[in-house]
Amino acid sequence: MLYEFHRKQNAKKAGTVHATYLITGTRRVEAAPSQTNGVHSRDGEDTVMQSSPVLPSSSMPRPEEAAEEPSFIRSIMLVKEEHLDQAKRALDTVASIHVYSLEANSLSDIQALTECNRKVATSYSSEDPLQAWKQYGTIQNPNARRRTRRGPPPPPAPVAKDADVKTKPLVPTTTSKKESDTTADSKPPSAKQTPEPDKKGSTKPAQTKRQSSDIFKSFAKGKTKAKQESQSSAEATPAPEPEDEPMGGFSEDDAGDDATAAQEDETKVQAGPSKKDRAAELQAMMDQEDEPMEDAPTPAEESQDAETAIDKPDSQKDEESKETVTVENGRRRGRRRVMKKKTVKDEEGYLVTREEPAWESFSEDEPAPKKIKVPPASSTNAGSKASVGKKGGKPGQGNIMSFFGKK
Amino acid sequence: MAVEKGETDDALLSEPTDTQHAALNRTPSAYNPLPTFDLPVGERRHYQQQYADMYFARLAQLKPAAEQIASEAWSDFEIAGETPRRVDRVLDVRQGDLCWVIGTCYMEMPLKPNVLDDIGKEHWIAAPPPRVKYTDDENDQIMLEDESGRLRLTGGMLKEHILVTGAIIAVIGTENKDGEFEVLDIRVPDLPRQPPRWERDDGDAAVKGKKVSRSRPKGGKVAIVSALGISGDAGNTLPLDLLMEWLLGESTGPEDQQDAATVSRLIIAGNSLSHASPIPTREELAHAATKKGPRKYGYDSSTWNAAPTDRLDTWLAMLLPSIPITLLPGESDPTATSLPQQPIHLAMFPHSRTYMELPGTKEVSWFNSTTNPAEFDLDGWRFLGTGGQPLDDVYKYVSGEERLEMMEAMLRWRLTAPTAPDTLWCYPFQDGDAFVMRECPHVYFVGNQPKFETTVIEGPAGQMVRLVAVPKFKDTGELVLIDMENLSAEVVKIEIFEGG
Repeated sequence: MLYEFHRKQNAKKAGTVHATYLITGTRRVEAAPSQTNGVHSRDGEDTVMQSSPVLPSSSMPRPEEAAEEPSFIRSIMLVKEEHLDQAKRALDTVASIHVYSLEANSLSDIQALTECNRKVATSYSSEDPLQAWKQYGTIQNPNARRRTRRGPPPPPAPVAKDADVKTKPLVPTTTSKKESDTTADSKPPSAKQTPEPDKKGSTKPAQTKRQSSDIFKSFAKGKTKAKQESQSSAEATPAPEPEDEPMGGFSEDDAGDDATAAQEDETKVQAGPSKKDRAAELQAMMDQEDEPMEDAPTPAEESQDAETAIDKPDSQKDEESKETVTVENGRRRGRRRVMKKKTVKDEEGYLVTREEPAWESFSEDEPAPKKIKVPPASSTNAGSKASVGKKGGKPGQGNIMSFFGKK
Repeated sequence: MAVEKGETDDALLSEPTDTQHAALNRTPSAYNPLPTFDLPVGERRHYQQQYADMYFARLAQLKPAAEQIASEAWSDFEIAGETPRRVDRVLDVRQGDLCWVIGTCYMEMPLKPNVLDDIGKEHWIAAPPPRVKYTDDENDQIMLEDESGRLRLTGGMLKEHILVTGAIIAVIGTENKDGEFEVLDIRVPDLPRQPPRWERDDGDAAVKGKKVSRSRPKGGKVAIVSALGISGDAGNTLPLDLLMEWLLGESTGPEDQQDAATVSRLIIAGNSLSHASPIPTREELAHAATKKGPRKYGYDSSTWNAAPTDRLDTWLAMLLPSIPITLLPGESDPTATSLPQQPIHLAMFPHSRTYMELPGTKEVSWFNSTTNPAEFDLDGWRFLGTGGQPLDDVYKYVSGEERLEMMEAMLRWRLTAPTAPDTLWCYPFQDGDAFVMRECPHVYFVGNQPKFETTVIEGPAGQMVRLVAVPKFKDTGELVLIDMENLSAEVVKIEIFEGG
């Protein structure tokens, strides 16, 4: 097709279309004469070294025998049309010639052709290669093994990295809301049993830039930890999947790089405004200002759609958004919000105890406990304290009497 | 698509049709990696131990083999009516006594990098350019060492052999009046046992109780490429795209596409990224020190450039649906610099990650990011490959230029990295030197070499090994195809014709 176009256009008016050809063929290459023995020594070399067998049992064919036979190499060459004949002469046999590309003028920079491949990669990233590529005539491999992704795939290669780093997507908030709600709802029992959330978090492959920036954020001490903790406090459990348990084994010394990286990125969006405040606070606290944290990915609304078929995070409805209390038979029943303490080991191996609001159902035949008042007060306390991210701090125990109370 | 044959042009110049063309299927590849070079992860990896233990372990592992070879060779050796006797320890050698002894070779070279000199010079002068060779004929000394001590070696025989620090050798000779051991002959452990083809796969199947199938599918070819050298600058990545298109069968003509369909696996032998080593070079450090502005301690993440890894990742992701890939890290890749380099983590490949199994699972990944050096079974043949660092280091010790001979020497010493830990950074193995080859490979490939070279060597028990030096793709555009049926190697060169 390209050839026809080329021919027609040049027939109409010569020189309008310039072609770049891809030629394949074989070429003869003389065996390089550098493998000579001491007789044809190079200048200044120690000839004794070359002429004798260097190892007692060396069985390598001596170069003299090998030098006679030239070897053939297969050659794939990209040639501009003006050099086509030259190239054909340079090859011993020509297997095929194809038009690789057409352009209006002779390519000044032949490397510009890589742009084509890059564009294809970015614009068709939503296709699943294993299904779609049969159409393109690539060689199929029925044995290809691919595992399903749990998070959305990374965005296609961005051209301006900085721009992406700074934008914060708001569209994914809808899906993110669902995910964040799962964390907030009634899974406290499972929360107790989950092993270290850092390891769990590591199982979800997050977006590229987030991840890379987070990995290296762990080197920029202090600020990152704060952010990570605030995130983990915001979520009770990332939903783990059993197959990803062994991931923990990979975390090396440095602050569990994988861990800090792939939290559920969407939960960040959930903690939106407070996060910005915290970010501002931290920046005031510390001088270091690396990349801003809002580098959640630009992605892929489209890739998200594509991926929902493959991996759907459990988006449960938010059941209890408010406390309910019903009174019957003198028994109080219902659900209420309670502060629960959770001791977790975070990425650096520190034990951190946090208070988190959690829902629980209660049924008592005692009058309404005064405790209800206390949780809201301490929750805000906990919220702000956790946001500041004191490692190992015990929020909610600002009361000095706790020191003397039951231990 | 057209071929320049006038008469058949019109047949090919037709409108695109909807007819389904039969898609080519790629030859399957039977792959079975060995965990020889996997280091323990997490807390089980210790760095507290001394490196000397590694030398002792190496000597202990290779002594029996060297002894056997040496006693066969020298049992009936006679000089002036004297027969040699075996001496157990290096220090037991007596003057005037014809004897033979086994030990580790140690080369004392003043031009070798010396850490004390480095520390002393660091603050004063800029780093000198690294030396091409450490050899210095007047000042070099060769010694034989074992647990008891060292013995200096002399003799004209020494110049005729390739020797590097860390090689286990057996020498015969006598001590002269200077207290030096005059060497008459040298023997090395030579090639170890070579497993027959399919031995490991058959063995595994037999253990599992499956019927061992006698007929295996015909193997295809394996493509080995090295030093893709992807850096952030976009100037030179067109050959990569051409390579990808050829491997995928998108470009070239029908015969070439069928040929490409026989390539069952791609092995990338090191240095895929050109500046991704985690250790900054001295120049980078100096530059950072002179930079104005707030001093950033630790890692400065604003200097991170994601473009190279991104490029590599998308390139791999475009190849993976069609061909399995084995990736060995190299000197400039983002993994540890000490051998054995551990696999590049799957976090570096967000697009290709789905083709990798999670660490900890036993299954072999479609995209196998593996260690450097790496040992694996491919279509039954045992492959041993490195990213080039050991060979480059041996090259610096030896005054010759023949890289194939050095590769052969490394096989005959049974050491994948003989100069570790002397001038090559490595992990302090405690229990046994992982660089000692236990079994002879069928194919030994080394990446990052200046040009393509190949040969076949033979061992004392009939082992045949194909040696392949893989050239740098970034400079030469060449990749090596090895045929799995007869283990012959050929080169495919991808280039942009410059005309003129």
